[in-house]
Amino acid sequence: MSPANNRSNHQDIAAPIAGFVDRNHCLSQLADLASASTYHPLAICWIVPDIVQPPEQNRKKSLSEAFLTLTAQRLHRQTGAGALWCRMSPDEFVCVLTNHDFDRTNQLATKLLNELQACLTPADQPLQGATSMGIAFLDSNENPYACLERAHQAMNTARRSGGNRIVVSGSEPLPGRTGVQLARHELVLENRLYRTIDEGRLTLHYQPCMDVNGCPVSIEALLRCEASGLSTADAIPIAEKTGLIVRLGEWSMLEAARMARRLSADNLSMPVSINISRAQLTAPRFSQMLHAALLCADASPQQFELELSESLLQDHSRTVQSNLRTVQAAGFNFVIDDFGSTHSCLANLKNITTTKIKLDRKFTAALPYDQRSLSVVTAMARLAAEFGTQIVAKGVETTTQLDALHQAGIYVTQGYLHAAPMPENELRTWLKIREKRI
Amino acid sequence: MNKTGGPTFIESQLEASLREIDIPPRPLILDRINEEMQKDEPDFNHLASLISADVALAASLIKITNSPFFGLRGHVHSPREALMLLGLNVAAKAVAGIVMRRAFPRSPQLERFWDASALIAKLSGWLAQRVTNHRLRADDAYTFGLFRDCGIPILLARRPSYFEILVEANHDAGRSFTAIEDLILPTNHAVVGSILTQSWGLTNETTLSVQHHHDLAFLDASTIPPSLNSRYMIAVAQLAEYLLQRHTGRSHTREWDKLGPACLRLLKLDEAGIADLLTEAMPIMDAEL
Repeated sequence: MSPANNRSNHQDIAAPIAGFVDRNHCLSQLADLASASTYHPLAICWIVPDIVQPPEQNRKKSLSEAFLTLTAQRLHRQTGAGALWCRMSPDEFVCVLTNHDFDRTNQLATKLLNELQACLTPADQPLQGATSMGIAFLDSNENPYACLERAHQAMNTARRSGGNRIVVSGSEPLPGRTGVQLARHELVLENRLYRTIDEGRLTLHYQPCMDVNGCPVSIEALLRCEASGLSTADAIPIAEKTGLIVRLGEWSMLEAARMARRLSADNLSMPVSINISRAQLTAPRFSQMLHAALLCADASPQQFELELSESLLQDHSRTVQSNLRTVQAAGFNFVIDDFGSTHSCLANLKNITTTKIKLDRKFTAALPYDQRSLSVVTAMARLAAEFGTQIVAKGVETTTQLDALHQAGIYVTQGYLHAAPMPENELRTWLKIREKRI
Repeated sequence: MNKTGGPTFIESQLEASLREIDIPPRPLILDRINEEMQKDEPDFNHLASLISADVALAASLIKITNSPFFGLRGHVHSPREALMLLGLNVAAKAVAGIVMRRAFPRSPQLERFWDASALIAKLSGWLAQRVTNHRLRADDAYTFGLFRDCGIPILLARRPSYFEILVEANHDAGRSFTAIEDLILPTNHAVVGSILTQSWGLTNETTLSVQHHHDLAFLDASTIPPSLNSRYMIAVAQLAEYLLQRHTGRSHTREWDKLGPACLRLLKLDEAGIADLLTEAMPIMDAEL
């Protein structure tokens, strides 16, 4: 439906507010402004103030006429006389700005949005404003009504995304392959990631964890797609957003299981760990996939470690919990990854049997001089010993850090000091050199 | 083979890939390949169809062709494409080299799997052109038919009890095939098959179809995903299996009772249509390997 003729229901006829024109006048004046603006930029902002109700009040909050009038007047004051203000329906306003380029329009729109948020979120009431604003700039030769329609669509996009935002027409998030709304640059990344998968350019790199004697005790498998010119740091967030991470995760499971099998065939038996994301754990077939990977590789759960972020252990959704339980019952070992990187909860350690905790690299980075970090690390090492859990420090880069960690009671470490993540053939050479040395 | 008489690069890649995939190649096919290669002028087209009809050989060829070493833009998705890209005689010689050097286990348990895979693949390739209005590529239908059940030999090799589960699932007219596996095993042959086919670099569409090929809801889906081709693959292979059962008079599974009506709905076929297909498919079903 065109925004120019929707909401024609008589209940929706908006009362006049001083300084505002109604829909019909808006359309005619817009046409006039557009014909006059050949050399001047013209911007249309479509504004809808919304209220988000607190969840316990399960009914729609409609804004009172008096409140809307007051709000509209406050908005009007922000723009001054240069703008054309229209009331398109009781709670939809359009502001036509002439002589406003992209930056000026955005500045003004932000000011309007803040003003509205202030109006809509009274201090004494549990209400939350969620204004949606769509902006469209009139293109040369564009019909002004088409531009108005674009502003309306942009506003709808802002509203669908939860409001309290400004969307500029032409830069809306676009639906990606899996239907998720992605920004333009994310869409490019998503396509490249698909190509990477299609061309088989994914690889696993491996980084060893070392004990106090310098012997490797386990290996972390890390997904890499640099061969296709796509950085892993870019790829993983997109993969998580689009659900592609499930496919990447399944691929990694099998490759890592095969690696574990090859290592044990060469008498280099040690667990290989893989990182598990939330999207994987919410997939109903997670446990079946994991078992399938082991069966194909002819490996056992004991040759495998699953690295989970702490937040996943706190995730109480049924699928996640059931997947965690099934997998643990089958004998897979859990590692809490990056412990202490976010809001850490010691209760997690109490509730879930993990075989290993990996301390976040920021603790290591602050060693040996930061006394407080050292205290935390020492305390964690004692706690882990009490729990019978192995503790690993990540991000070790210098020998002084390594010494400090050993003194604190952390004997297994991982980091560039020992080895960077490397492809399988390099790892094998590296392992052989170590073997000879020891 | 190179001048030193050792295995060529392709041959060693193929051998490593076969070892990793861990599904034995079919002895009958290996013998036929050997026979053909002994001739003064081997018929490479015949060799191509022999190699393409074996799950293990076909999968290994696809896998190595898709490996980053070959650096292809885009992937090969069928044994035919892999053979074309590697070069038929190069591939045939590599296969023959392995066959001569390595003894593969004879697994009588796998006879039906080998036979069914090759026949269903061939018939599916033909059916795709007849019943999907050319929407499903014959190559894709062939590949799916060949690899649909590739999880079975893995489970047979790893789980001694799997044979009995297989028999039970084959005879159950009510519950879905994988539901019976799921009762006893932590995974099922469809999931194993999907993770395997994914690792060979087959399309996501094919991989998903392998994962769901006993799933009535997937076949009947009115939403996208699954894609129409994904559903076609399942229906076409199921129809191929049914035609073969009608032709030979031997029914090893009850899958048509469970999935047949949904397949016919999707392919817009009725009993008369099946009778026609059965007559036309006769020469294909009777053809020698």
